Amino acid sequence: MNKINGEIYMQNKEQKELLVRLGEAQNKFGYLSEKVMIELAESLDMSISDVYGVATFYSFFSIRPQGRNIIRICKSVPCFLKNSQVIIETVEKEIGIKPGETTPNGKFSFHLTNCIGVCDKAPAMMINSEVYIDLTPNKISQILKAHK
Amino acid sequence: MEQIALTINDRQLSASSGMTILEVAKENSIDIPALCYRQELSPIGACRICVVEVERSETLVGSCHTPIAQGMVIHTHSKKVLQVRKTMVELLLASHCGNCFMCDKANICELRSIATDLEVGLPRFQVKKRYYPVEDASPFIVRDLTKCILCRRCVSACNEIKKEKVFGIAYRGFDSKVVVDFDQPIDKDVCRDCDVCISFCPTGALSKHGEIGEEKKGEPLIISG
Ligand code: SF4
Ligand code: SF4
Ligand code: FES
Ligand code: FES
Repeated sequence: MNKINGEIYMQNKEQKELLVRLGEAQNKFGYLSEKVMIELAESLDMSISDVYGVATFYSFFSIRPQGRNIIRICKSVPCFLKNSQVIIETVEKEIGIKPGETTPNGKFSFHLTNCIGVCDKAPAMMINSEVYIDLTPNKISQILKAHK
Repeated sequence: MEQIALTINDRQLSASSGMTILEVAKENSIDIPALCYRQELSPIGACRICVVEVERSETLVGSCHTPIAQGMVIHTHSKKVLQVRKTMVELLLASHCGNCFMCDKANICELRSIATDLEVGLPRFQVKKRYYPVEDASPFIVRDLTKCILCRRCVSACNEIKKEKVFGIAYRGFDSKVVVDFDQPIDKDVCRDCDVCISFCPTGALSKHGEIGEEKKGEPLIISG
């Protein structure tokens, strides 16, 4: 009884701190290495599996080294209804890799992500921290060319 | 402690504040099926099998983690409740590996037992299934996550009872998985002489080595419906 509130609160506190620290590490190193996750687990007194769990839950964290530019196409329903599938296929063709992969020259990593909050201008994608909206296949190659 | 007056299935009851609906029901011999809940663990709220109807609430609520409130009117076996409960079990069975005939725990499996009670019949849904390799590297425990229903009991039991933190939940959505460290096959020294999580797993996902056959001795559970 009543342990409900107590324990869930405790977990949230640890996890909030963890999220901030994971974010810092991701920004600094570009991905979350096992070494970083082990260090975080030790300093926050959490298990490695819990740290790994949070790191793999959020699509903006990566546990593998990423390319110089990270493309994230929204796969949520509103974008899907506006034909995000075609955008996904166009990007696949342009850079020759599938979601989850990195180009051999290290220029692009490509991921699908959940809603990025611009559904009214679907379909949408992000490259690094830049958001691109109202996408059509024609716009893609130009947008990609702007990235080195 | 404050006393709360409430109604369950037209019976007027009184219970201490802070109790959950499920606890009050149990105390009054009203049987609500539960899959992720276990008395020894803090509520998890993952499986939704324990849902009940609370009048004036827009949605059904999970009875294992919802505290009682003054004047609540609760139905534990209304038509709506039974329908939702049945569908939840069907969904669990549909993405579960499904081959109970090959499973050593078939006749003591809680999932199968609830499916039998609710007469869910053959699943109507054809969904993607999860398949993982069996993990038998540890001398103390075998994990077959193809049978896992993500109830999280093992995570809580290891944490709260054994006071270890072997398991975590990783990935999201359909890919969610109970992981050890960086998603490695389980092989930990702390598992020596411990079957805590094994005894809490409601399915055949966790077992000891060489149990084969031992547990097929239960009454056969035939899912009609
Ligand atoms: S066997 Fe014991 S220590 Fe090992 S994972 Fe299970 S509960 Fe935790
Ligand atoms: S291994 Fe068993 S106890 Fe753990 S989440 Fe899966 S079904 Fe539940
Ligand atoms: S659904 Fe794509 S941005 Fe919201
Ligand atoms: S028993 Fe209540 S949600 Fe699983």
